[in-house]
Amino acid sequence: MKKRGIGIGCGFYGTGYGNGFPDVSRARAKLETDGKIGIYVGATEVGQGAKTVLQQIAAEAMGVSIEDIKFYCESTENTPDAGTAAASRQTYNTGNAIKKACEALKEGLIYIAIDKLLLNSAVGIRVENKKVYLESYPQSAISFEDIAKALTEPLCFEESFTAGTTKMEEESGQGAPYWPYTFSVYGVEVEVDTQTGFVEVLKAVCAQDVGRAINPQLLEGQIDGGFSMALGYALMEDLRLTNGEIRNNRFSSYIIPTALDMPEVKKIIVEDPEVTGPYGAKGVGEPVMVAAAPAILNAIYNAVGVRMREIPVTPDRLLEALMEKE
Amino acid sequence: MKEISLRVNGEERSAEIHEEMRLLDLLRDALHLTGTKEGCGEGECGACTVIMEGKTVNSCMVMAFQAEGKEIITIEGMATKDKLHPIQRAFLEKGAVQCGFCIPGMVLSAKVLLDENPIPTRDEIREGISGNLCRCTGYNKIVDAIETAAGYLNTGGDSNA
Ligand code: FES
Ligand code: FES
Repeated sequence: MKKRGIGIGCGFYGTGYGNGFPDVSRARAKLETDGKIGIYVGATEVGQGAKTVLQQIAAEAMGVSIEDIKFYCESTENTPDAGTAAASRQTYNTGNAIKKACEALKEGLIYIAIDKLLLNSAVGIRVENKKVYLESYPQSAISFEDIAKALTEPLCFEESFTAGTTKMEEESGQGAPYWPYTFSVYGVEVEVDTQTGFVEVLKAVCAQDVGRAINPQLLEGQIDGGFSMALGYALMEDLRLTNGEIRNNRFSSYIIPTALDMPEVKKIIVEDPEVTGPYGAKGVGEPVMVAAAPAILNAIYNAVGVRMREIPVTPDRLLEALMEKE
Repeated sequence: MKEISLRVNGEERSAEIHEEMRLLDLLRDALHLTGTKEGCGEGECGACTVIMEGKTVNSCMVMAFQAEGKEIITIEGMATKDKLHPIQRAFLEKGAVQCGFCIPGMVLSAKVLLDENPIPTRDEIREGISGNLCRCTGYNKIVDAIETAAGYLNTGGDSNA
């Protein structure tokens, strides 16, 4: 017999290295000779979209379009260390470092403009569309390109950002080990075949707090990806670790979801800007996975009345539990 | 050692092969078409998908000598010099690519699917790419992209129109 059920799971997740560990990102912003903005940062793109999001942050900070950003990342030869592409930390941590470096560069540009335009103060000066100008008298303006041409040495600023966390007290376990936290809720509907023990997830909905959505399309991709990993985690993926040896070490035994296993996921992006984040943004790479497996297990309970306490809920395990229940 | 010839991406090619060489090795090592990826090497993941005589095959499971005289399309044969194939363009527009490792195989599976079934349902698309594993995307944006690509191809292949 096929039985349907629904389940909900909620989670919160602290991003970054945490526990007082120095979670440092560095970035450099430089006025290139053609008047474009060079961003030099050791952040690594692994498909999560760091390159795109970090360029968007730089473009926003400098008031230019993304085409005017020259982005150099990954190479240790010419970029400062931005830490690992891990712990869901690049958007928040490295995004902040880039924003700070851009703000420093902006200030540097303003001081040069004061000199070149014979102004008497930084008050009322705007930096926008690749030029620096006086807001009350826009004719008094100089382009980034002209500033670059007049430079005798490169205009370049390096800044760093360190996430604020504390080590937990050993005795009491108290402290502020992570910052920021990210919240999410998943709802799923499953269909359980009580004959075979097979569980199919029919549909899913995810509400994910992101602080500020810098790139909604990439966020949606992270949610789909996180859900499919959690789907495998809940129902299929089992390393079968025996005496330190991974037994399921091939795709023939370590089963991950295919396009047929994956449901459509409705996404609700919740924007509640984080004051310490770059334009309010937080990381979501790992958080999007957290609450999905509990939602699936709750839906199984709702469908057939058994509480599964071990994952993955493979057909044989579920059948055994169903038999025990009878 | 033996010399064979075959057509790859519309060009006559020949290569020295040995007995236990797979089509995957022929393409990557002899012809330097490294867009074709090796994931599992045992026919499970689809990263090595290429099109042979109009059908997708896992090139890790096909011996090089079996490709003698055959017509092969790899990911390098999809775009022209200055223009992406509509399927590739749709993948970019829909945000269907994350790490990219599965994508050459996905694009080629999509091509064969759309060649055979120009207006597939979302379920048919899922079926069509079910032999291609992706760890990153959760497939949904890939399904979106293939739907979009079907639209482009059915209107003459130009999304800029
Ligand atoms: S490498 Fe051929 S199917 Fe995985
Ligand atoms: S995009 Fe990474 S495996 Fe598919």
